[in-house]
Amino acid sequence: MSSTLTTNKVEEFVSHIAENNLAVWNELPNIRKSGVEALKNLSFPNTKDEYWKYSRTTKITKNQYKFDQIDSANINLDEVRVAGLDTYEIVMVNGFLNTELSNLPKNDSITIKSFEECTTEELTTYFSQNLDTITNFFSALNTAYFSEGIMVIAKGVCDKPVHLIHYSEGESVISQPRNIFVTEKNSELSIIKSSINKNTNNYFYNSVNEFFIGENSHINYYVIQNYEEGMNVMSTNVATQENNSTFSAFNYTLKGDWIRNNTNVFVKGEHCESNLYGAYQPTGKEHIDNHTIMDHIMPNCESNEHYKGTVGDKATGVFNGKVFVRKDAQKINAFQSNNNILLSDDATMNSKPELEIYADDVKCSHGSTSGQLDEEAVFYLQSRGLSKESATALLISAFLGEVVEKIKIPELKEKVLEIYGME
Amino acid sequence: MISIKNLHASIDGKEILKGINLDVKAGEVHAIMGPNGSGKSTLSAVLAGNEDYEITDGSVDFMGEDLLEFSTEERSRMGIFLAFQYPIEIPGVSNMNFLRTAINETRESKGEDPIAAKEFLAKVKEKSALVELDNSLLKRYVNEGFSGGEKKRNEIFQMAMLEPKLAILDETDSGLDIDALKIVSHGVNTLKTKDNATVVITHYQRLLDHIVPDFVHVLYKGKIVKSGGKELALELEEKGYDWIKEEINA
Repeated sequence: MSSTLTTNKVEEFVSHIAENNLAVWNELPNIRKSGVEALKNLSFPNTKDEYWKYSRTTKITKNQYKFDQIDSANINLDEVRVAGLDTYEIVMVNGFLNTELSNLPKNDSITIKSFEECTTEELTTYFSQNLDTITNFFSALNTAYFSEGIMVIAKGVCDKPVHLIHYSEGESVISQPRNIFVTEKNSELSIIKSSINKNTNNYFYNSVNEFFIGENSHINYYVIQNYEEGMNVMSTNVATQENNSTFSAFNYTLKGDWIRNNTNVFVKGEHCESNLYGAYQPTGKEHIDNHTIMDHIMPNCESNEHYKGTVGDKATGVFNGKVFVRKDAQKINAFQSNNNILLSDDATMNSKPELEIYADDVKCSHGSTSGQLDEEAVFYLQSRGLSKESATALLISAFLGEVVEKIKIPELKEKVLEIYGME
Repeated sequence: MISIKNLHASIDGKEILKGINLDVKAGEVHAIMGPNGSGKSTLSAVLAGNEDYEITDGSVDFMGEDLLEFSTEERSRMGIFLAFQYPIEIPGVSNMNFLRTAINETRESKGEDPIAAKEFLAKVKEKSALVELDNSLLKRYVNEGFSGGEKKRNEIFQMAMLEPKLAILDETDSGLDIDALKIVSHGVNTLKTKDNATVVITHYQRLLDHIVPDFVHVLYKGKIVKSGGKELALELEEKGYDWIKEEINA
C-alpha cells in the first residue's frame, strides 16, 4: 500500500521534470534511458535508509520543478573570479551552458566541448561509465534529465585551471548540470567550481560530475559553496583513478540552506594518491552533509581524508566517510579524520567514520572528534585584550584554516582565506 | 594603583580566597609567596577576570575603577596583564597575528587608529630582543611546540608589547632553568618604570634574587598572613613554610 503510494509520488515528481524538452545528442537518448529506467525502481531517499539517515529530502521532493533557461547577458561574475588568476571560464546558467560567456579551448593541452560538440564515441566512452551514477535517486534523476553539460579533456599539463561557474536564479527551478572531466595519460588539470545565486526560492540544484583520471595524471578539484538563501544543493562527484594518478578534492562550504555532497573515489590503479579535504560551518538552521566513499580496489595506494567543521546555532552538520580496502588491495595507507566544534547547545553534528578492510597488509586509521571551543584558549586571548567574539572567530579560523591551507593555487588560496575572513 | 579589600572567591562552591587585603602602588614590586594550594593562582585568575571563579565578597579598586565590574578583555585594555603559569597553546593562530589583533583591539577601544605595520614590526623586533625570543618563534603558532622556557619568554614578550600598568606574573619561574630565569627577570626589570607595578607570584625565593621585591606577602589558606620586606623571602627560603603554618594554627 505505502509502496504504491511512494511510487506514485515518485512518478508524479519525475513527470513534471520530464515534461521539459531537453536536448538529445548522438547516443545520448540511450544514456538518458538508463536513468529513466533506473528511476522506475527507485524511491525517494528515506531516513530509514542508512545512506540518508541524517538528511531528510522531503523539502526537495515535495515540490514541483521546471527548467528555466533564462537570458543571461547581464550576469556579473566578478564576485567569484580569482584575482590574478587566468582561467578557462565555463559558465552554466540554471544548468545550461552559456557559450557566449564561456571559453571552450581546443589546444594541445586541453579541449573543452559542449555535449553537442562531442562525438558519439566520446560520450559513450565516459558518460555514466562510473559506478553508482544511477544507483541513487538523485544521480539517476540527473542521468535521465540532465540539463546540459561539458566535457573537459586534458591531454597534457594544462596551462590554466578550468573555472566552472554555476549561476542560479528563479523560483521552483531545477538545475541539473552534468560535467565530465577526463585526464589522459601524463596530464594535469585543476578545476575550480564556484556558484552564484540570485533571487532563488525553492531552487533545486542537482549536479553530477564525473572524473576519469588516466594513467600518471593528476586532478585538483576545488569546490567553493557560498550560497545565498533559497537553494537546496545536491552535488555528486564520482572519480575513477588509473595507475599512478592523483585525485585531490577540496570542498569548502561557507553557506547554504541545505547541502548534500557525495564524493566517491574508486581507485582502480596501483600507486595512486587520493586526497579529500573539506570544511563546513553551518549556522542558523542550515544543514550541511558530506558523504564520501574512498574505495581501494588495487594495492599500493595512499589516501588522506580530512574534514573539519564548526556547527553553530540550530544548524546540523553530517559527515559520513566510508573507506573500503578490497581483498586484493594490499599495502594501502588510508587515513581519515573528521573534527568538529559545536558552538551552541542546539547545534547537531552527526559524524560517522567507517572502515571496511578485506585485505590484511594495510595501514589504516580513522577517527572523529566533536567538542566545544577550548575555553582556556578563549580566556587566554581575552586576557590579551581580544573581545570574546574576536577570540572565538580567531580560534574558528585557526581550526578550519588547516584545511583551507591545503589549497595549492596561491591566488585561489588567498581568495578563499579572504572569504573566510582569515587573511 | 590597585587596592584589594576583603576579597573572597570560590570555585564549584569551595571557598579559596578568604579575605585578601592588598595595596600596590605605582613603581612597586610585590611578591606573593605561599605553599601549594594557598590560593596564589586563584588570586591571579580572579584579578584577570576568569569566570570560573565566583566572587562572594570584597572589592578591587584599580586606578579608581571597580575592577570586578569589567570583563577579562576590558581589564586587559585598562592595563592588567597576567603572565600565565601554563601558557596556552593555540594551533593555527600565529604569534604575530595574535599580537597585532590584541594591540589593535586595545587601541580601538581607546578610539585610536590601528598600529602601522612598520611601527608594529619595529616594536616586535625591539621587544623580542629583550627576552631573546627567536624570530622564527614569532611566526609560529602561539606557544605550539615551544619549550617551557620559550613559553615563559613569550609571556614576557607579550607583556612588553602590551605595556601594562599592572603585571601579575603567576609562577613565571616554574620550569625555567637558571639562564632562562635570568633572561625573563632581565625582561621584567627592564620594563619596570615608576608608573607601573608588578606582582610576582612564586613558590620559591630564587626568582626574587633577580626580580627584587619591595614587599613580600605570605598567602596561606586564602589569606595574607604575613607581610614584610625582601628579607621575609630569605627567611622563608631558609626555614620553609612550616613555621608560618605553626604560627597561624597556634
